[in-house]
Amino acid sequence: MKSTRTGWGLLAPTLIILAFVGVLPFLYVFYIGFFDWTMFAAKTGLVFAGVNNYRRLVFDNDFLAALARTVQFAAWAVVSELILGFLLAQLLLRNFRGRSIFRTIHALPLVVAPIAVGATWRLFTIPGFGPLPYYLDKWFGFDYNISRYPSHAFATILLMDIWHWTPFVTLTLLAGLTALPREPFEQALVDGANRLQVFRYLTLPMIQPILLTTVFIRIMDALRIVDEVWMLTGGGPGTSNRYVGLHIWLIVFPKTDYGYGAAMSLLTLYFTIVLSWLLFIAIAQAGRQTTA
Amino acid sequence: MASRPWRKRLGKVGTYLIWIILSGFTLLPIYWLFVVSARSRVELFGGPSLLQTSFFAENYLKPLSSPTFQGYLINSLIIATSNALLVVICAVCATYALSRYRLKGDQSIFFWTITNRMAPPAVFLLPLFLLYAKVIRIGGWSLFDTHIGIILVYCVFNLPFAIWLLKGIVDGIPVELDEAALVDGANRLTVIVRIIVPLAAPSIAIAGILSWIFAWNEYLFAATLTSVNARTVTTGLAEFVTVVGTNWGQMAAVAFIAILPGLLFLSLVQRYIVTGLTFGAVKE
Amino acid sequence: MKTALWKTFALLAVVSMLGALCVVPAAAQEPGKVDEAWYAKAAEPYKGVTITGVSESTPPSKYAAEVLAPAFEKMTGIKVKFEVTSWDQMYDKEMKDMEAGTGLYDFVYLEQDIVYAYMARNFLVDLDQMMKDKPELVRPGFNWDDFVAFANYFKDPKTGHMMGMPMESFLKTVVYRTDLFGDPKIKEAFKAKYGYELAPATTFQQYRDIAEFFTQWGKDNNMELWGTVVQAHTGHVASWYEQVESILPAFGVYNWGINKDNWKACVANGGQMNSDRAKEALTWWLGNLKYAPPEATSSTWDEIAASFAAGRAAMGWEYCENLGWIGRDETKSKVIGKFAVALPPLYKGVLEDAKAGKGYIGYYDGGAYAIPVGSKNKEAAFLWLMYIGDPGIQAGWAIAGTRITMKATLDDPAVKEMDKQLGGYFTFYKEYSSLFAGAPPFPFHASVREVVAPFFFRAITGELTPSDALDQACAAAEEELVREGYGK
Repeated sequence: MKSTRTGWGLLAPTLIILAFVGVLPFLYVFYIGFFDWTMFAAKTGLVFAGVNNYRRLVFDNDFLAALARTVQFAAWAVVSELILGFLLAQLLLRNFRGRSIFRTIHALPLVVAPIAVGATWRLFTIPGFGPLPYYLDKWFGFDYNISRYPSHAFATILLMDIWHWTPFVTLTLLAGLTALPREPFEQALVDGANRLQVFRYLTLPMIQPILLTTVFIRIMDALRIVDEVWMLTGGGPGTSNRYVGLHIWLIVFPKTDYGYGAAMSLLTLYFTIVLSWLLFIAIAQAGRQTTA
Repeated sequence: MASRPWRKRLGKVGTYLIWIILSGFTLLPIYWLFVVSARSRVELFGGPSLLQTSFFAENYLKPLSSPTFQGYLINSLIIATSNALLVVICAVCATYALSRYRLKGDQSIFFWTITNRMAPPAVFLLPLFLLYAKVIRIGGWSLFDTHIGIILVYCVFNLPFAIWLLKGIVDGIPVELDEAALVDGANRLTVIVRIIVPLAAPSIAIAGILSWIFAWNEYLFAATLTSVNARTVTTGLAEFVTVVGTNWGQMAAVAFIAILPGLLFLSLVQRYIVTGLTFGAVKE
Repeated sequence: MKTALWKTFALLAVVSMLGALCVVPAAAQEPGKVDEAWYAKAAEPYKGVTITGVSESTPPSKYAAEVLAPAFEKMTGIKVKFEVTSWDQMYDKEMKDMEAGTGLYDFVYLEQDIVYAYMARNFLVDLDQMMKDKPELVRPGFNWDDFVAFANYFKDPKTGHMMGMPMESFLKTVVYRTDLFGDPKIKEAFKAKYGYELAPATTFQQYRDIAEFFTQWGKDNNMELWGTVVQAHTGHVASWYEQVESILPAFGVYNWGINKDNWKACVANGGQMNSDRAKEALTWWLGNLKYAPPEATSSTWDEIAASFAAGRAAMGWEYCENLGWIGRDETKSKVIGKFAVALPPLYKGVLEDAKAGKGYIGYYDGGAYAIPVGSKNKEAAFLWLMYIGDPGIQAGWAIAGTRITMKATLDDPAVKEMDKQLGGYFTFYKEYSSLFAGAPPFPFHASVREVVAPFFFRAITGELTPSDALDQACAAAEEELVREGYGK
């Protein structure tokens, strides 16, 4: 057929770059996961520890708790963003005056740097100085304090994430919905299907690929959230919102426990892959059933 | 798309109402960012009020007039634009190769490119630091604190995403078009430039823009892998966080300015977003 | 019409960005006079060299970067470049550079609490040794005795040699509102309620009374006023720092409660972290939260200064480098001329212990510049350090950054003049700085901090009682210490 040499040649730049800045560091991280390496320990340098780091991780309550919290947060965030994004995409389907302006405004959070997002929300919600606690107290007498009540902090982080990432879901779903052909839907209407049936048997299966992609990307990113949470509460109150990305950051940076941090990162990555894969299968399965 | 009964019931007024409320919700934190940037510190901590009548210009003038900051702006521009170009070029070539050729192991390649993006970033900073500062050394020069260093690192995040975005579209372009051009004497590169690129233009534009925005906004890797020469605007933001207090006003001013380019691009391409973001999953 | 709108907007954005690039900086300040001829001669072999350093952007560091560095370059031809970054990033970059030996930085900011970690790893150039090897680089008349006692923290305990050039030092002590404490109506009301004269607290009960009084006063008079600031962020180690830097020593518990002989923290093993006294300290401190403004549980060093400067508290522990702007900058402070510094309340016997050198009453903060062993321009960097330690520039630097490193600076007339605006801080420094101490000599400072802090946060939120929090904290600390090889 065609000479595969050209093919590999075209792929080469990508592979070289990714091998260099992607695979090499990855292998390094994999390597030091087998060592004990803390910058200011009495015994300096890499101390071989075999699979000890991984063994410690399995019993590390702080790590497991962080992981559980992260999954809880990701679940809430992704489901909310999905529902909201879908509804908004529906609203944006038909043209109306000012649609592009609203669409642009809605997409604005996507272009703000995550660290700035965290800083803005912190200033907005900080007890004593921020407008949100002030007005909630003034108008409703509600004691809103993200540094005292874990549930308040969680709700705020969730809201911040929804604010930041729903536009992404809206836009991708909008793209998917826009490209759908008209005939099946018009036919369904003629056949007397109600809107729920149309949704379940027509819309869902047809946008399934793009839905899967969007969900996958969001879950991946939600499980990795760090800067915004750090800026908002530092993971607090206490450790109630210390998600796994932040937990690893704190292990690696101030604590300089590199070996343990490496093992933790790889375990988290493995967990993320497995979770995503399971979800992938679940959604694909659901899609297959409805097209029956 | 057939109209739905609930949307008809919603009516025009309902739609506008929803969008106005939603826009308010979207704009409120950004408005607050602007308010913070327009206040002096004493106004900021004196009790919150949502209205702002004065403008404390020093918050803007101080960072903007500093040559260091102007340098940051230029660095950010160089890095973001170069990265977007590099990503787009590599991604187009790569997706073409994956689409038109039977290459062994292309599925696993795809998988491997994604995994780096899935992992928590904190721990990868150390090997990258060592790679840049220690391993890649030619005499006194190293990859640390260089524009090209950062441009390459951002490929780890942007390339897989761009390839993902473009793969479906390129797959959807019929091979017959290629063959027709090849028969006419064109080589592969001409096929890519003359046929693929125009047809996949919306997605390419989106991939480029999203890469640009990511590179412009990224903080952690830029902060770790640059020092004085290649420092970006976003890393400059963290500079305001010190032990003697965070200079919220100036930080907000810089953050606000940093939003402008992104907003600019967004407004220019918002038309293409709808067609460009399908990941090629749905055929025209 | 829409396209026209977008086009105008695009144009606006581009113009503003270009405009940003054209803004011209204001004129720079001039530092104090030094022996320029000597510097020029000593720097001759190194002319044209560029040295790079990493630091934060606090006022003293800014002065060094914006005023001292250009002046130094003009004098010597050595260019000084500053990488300015945030507090935690700064440590991360320095440490990575020194650990990997990559020689990226020619001088690093050495905070007093990290110095022991660096010394344990032999990261730094021995300055005394360098002075012996290269006497031509030593400024005539240079004497370590000219520096304040804080300089001793940068001595290597093994050799007694200096490893860093002090560039700033401050105290953390109680600051209080003189306008409130001096108001006759307030004084009368206080005496009526508590039975003694209103004055800066010397005991913990007095401190509590005053805090309670002012919180009530704020409520009664519809003011945004509370009794005290408390640095009690529930997710940031700043809260833990206030406890170990200021509160525990005031209660007579030193060195975080860790026994330096056997590296144990729990009372059962010879430590003091969960001793009754420590538990009393934590309970007392947490009790103050009732009389603190709502942002207390979200406060790091940033917010406690902001709260006080906004007039929201009658008193509190403050890092005194902030007094420079709290006392002079109208765009940042509402309490100009309305505050003074005082000794903190102390447990019985603590003051005597401190005077005898057996303990301390609070935190002596500060930093130095040091040269990493991997630097490629050690001599040029050393000359920069000489300039940093030159008496000629100290007064101007003190006025800009509220920091002291040399004894003579406190007698400079301009500095003495500024003292009034600082609520008497420089006078206080002169008299009492010997009673304060920096962080204990722990190379494991950062890692044990990260391990202990979470229990602390839970004590603040009420999830754990102070007693349980400290019991669990000391156990966790001991576990971490053993894991790192300290103690059995």
